[in-house]
Amino acid sequence: MADAALSRTSFAPPRRREAWLSPRARRTLVSIVLAAICAVWVYPIVWMISASFKTNGEIFADSGLIPDAPTFDNYTRAWREANIGQYFFNTLFVTVGSVIITTIAAALMGYVLGRRPIPGKTALMGLMVFTLFIPQGFTIIPVFELLTSVGLGQSLWGVMLATCGHSIVIFTFLFAGYFGQMPKELEEASRMDGVGPLKTFWYVMLPLSKPIIVTVIVMQTLQAWNDFLLPLVVTLANPDLRTLSVGVYSFRGEHFIDWGGMTAASAITIIPIILLFLFLQRYFIDGLAGAVKG
Amino acid sequence: MSGVILNNVKKRYGAVEVIKGVDIEIGEGEFCVFVGPSGCGKSTLLRMIAGLEEISSGDVQIGGRRVNDLDPKDRGAAMVFQTYALYPHMDVARNMGFGLSMNGWPRDEVDRRVNEAARILQLEPYLDRKPRQLSGGQRQRVAIGRAIVRDPEVFLFDEPLSNLDAELRVATRLEIAKLHGTLENSTMIYVTHDQVEAMTLADKIVVLRDGRVEQVGAPMDLYETPDNLFVAGFIGSPKMNFMALDNGRLPDGTAPAVPGAAGAATLGVRSDALRPVESGGDVAGEITVVEQLGDAVFAHFRTGWGQEMVARFEPGTRLRAGESVRFALAGRTHLFDAEGRALRAAAERLTA
Ligand SMILES: Nc1ncnc2c1ncn2[C@@H]1O[C@H](COP(=O)(O)OP(=O)(O)O)[C@@H](O)[C@H]1O
Ligand SMILES: [Mg+2]
Repeated sequence: MADAALSRTSFAPPRRREAWLSPRARRTLVSIVLAAICAVWVYPIVWMISASFKTNGEIFADSGLIPDAPTFDNYTRAWREANIGQYFFNTLFVTVGSVIITTIAAALMGYVLGRRPIPGKTALMGLMVFTLFIPQGFTIIPVFELLTSVGLGQSLWGVMLATCGHSIVIFTFLFAGYFGQMPKELEEASRMDGVGPLKTFWYVMLPLSKPIIVTVIVMQTLQAWNDFLLPLVVTLANPDLRTLSVGVYSFRGEHFIDWGGMTAASAITIIPIILLFLFLQRYFIDGLAGAVKG
Repeated sequence: MSGVILNNVKKRYGAVEVIKGVDIEIGEGEFCVFVGPSGCGKSTLLRMIAGLEEISSGDVQIGGRRVNDLDPKDRGAAMVFQTYALYPHMDVARNMGFGLSMNGWPRDEVDRRVNEAARILQLEPYLDRKPRQLSGGQRQRVAIGRAIVRDPEVFLFDEPLSNLDAELRVATRLEIAKLHGTLENSTMIYVTHDQVEAMTLADKIVVLRDGRVEQVGAPMDLYETPDNLFVAGFIGSPKMNFMALDNGRLPDGTAPAVPGAAGAATLGVRSDALRPVESGGDVAGEITVVEQLGDAVFAHFRTGWGQEMVARFEPGTRLRAGESVRFALAGRTHLFDAEGRALRAAAERLTA
């Protein structure tokens, strides 16, 4: 081998591209670099999970990521005493409700915007885009006022409804783009078949938009589940209505922070999200790719 | 009674008139083909019959009823789309039965009809496949099956073969011809830009140009006695040769042996009506391209006045580019006046 390599270099000028690293070595190197970046990314979560199995004393004893004496106390304490169980179901209620409302509303609006000739469509869509540029911090008080004036200022229904508004414009556009690029013959075939517009939407168009539906469900779930500012404002005077993210925050006591309980509560918070993502990631990525392609 | 009658039908998109007053009568059980160049309004006309486009003015009757204001589903017509328009997420059986199921037909009746259509179209092995698992020809058959299960009075086809490759196109063309034989009482209206499809399938051809009917007739009528220059040039392959006439003389000053040529502005002659001769003859030229088709040889040649024309030779004839050829007019010739209208007197056979 060495001989052959040597003799070749002596006769022909070495080719630069081959000289440095073989493609295989290059792949390995890239993998190592990416793995390192990934580790940095994942570290906070791993630390949090690890800390949730440690006592408050051990957390700051710098004992490494593996707990010396793993304990489940943090979880029971968080679930029972800190009311995380209650908050969990509040969050579930808000999330599920807002996902259902958002998906249906966005699909319907997207269908109309994407496929029907309606007067003033451009202006309407422009207006909707404009709302994307207003930070939530500016709208939170008027939204709260609005909820109060319809009698939902102190209820989970209010949180649910307001949570729907976060990204519905984007979801609507996703649907509009997707429906807009579907061939009109599909609907016409259905019309020739004697199927009415509602049934056509339900049995033909909606099933075909599955990638978008999954994308919207995942994104809205993430948003609703992790939302902080809105539930904080609405539930300020009403601890029973807190959602997980607000609940976790309340572990910060006046003089003492229960880090163990807080990390356990955080773990409880993110586990459903991780499960959901693992479960739906294939569809989710398909949907995003489809939306970009479309 | 499932004939279709169009009565001075017009279609306007805003200020643009794309169908400019069309009268067509299609008898029950007839296979009628709308043919014309791309953009002439064939699809628009078909979609107006289907009920997918509003009718700006005029009447459309199906089976003796005026259907202008009826919903597509109430017109008794089924349509096969160029792109098939199958529902991608439904299997073949569901694709065909969807319309019936949605309209509350009992399940076993839907199944019966779907199976019957699948049998006719030889789709039985594929009933639980999704459209994407089918070949182009199979998809096309599913699209036809979806029309068949509805047992319509009128079938509407919009260029159903144009997405198939050449071989499959011929095969499916035959299938459609057979289908028309099977479903005797069904009227079929078929849109295509391909005059070969029109000639092979039609009982009656409607030649359209620019939103107007140029001529209606049986395929051989159109071939042998075209009403005008456009139809003469559109029907038949290769295209008819046209020569300008001036007081009965060709551009090179010779007078062709065609009675009545003196009053015509254009002389038309198909490639098979040019007989090669050693000397004399009516047209002379120099061969530019030779096309060997196996069952015929087409020689393209340039006349003395620089016009490209084409003549048919018997198979096996040896010809070379650059060779000089002379032809006598030996068959049906066509004469047209300055407006492009056929002068019928010239349609008699020459025996030269
Ligand atoms: N929705 C529409 N709006 C405006 N013009 C149209 C519309 N649909 C078709 N046209 C015009 O009508 C003419 C006929 O179209 P079409 O019926 O599709 O032609 P063909 O099927 O013969 O190729 C074309 O010139 C086309 O541009
Ligand atoms: Mg067309």
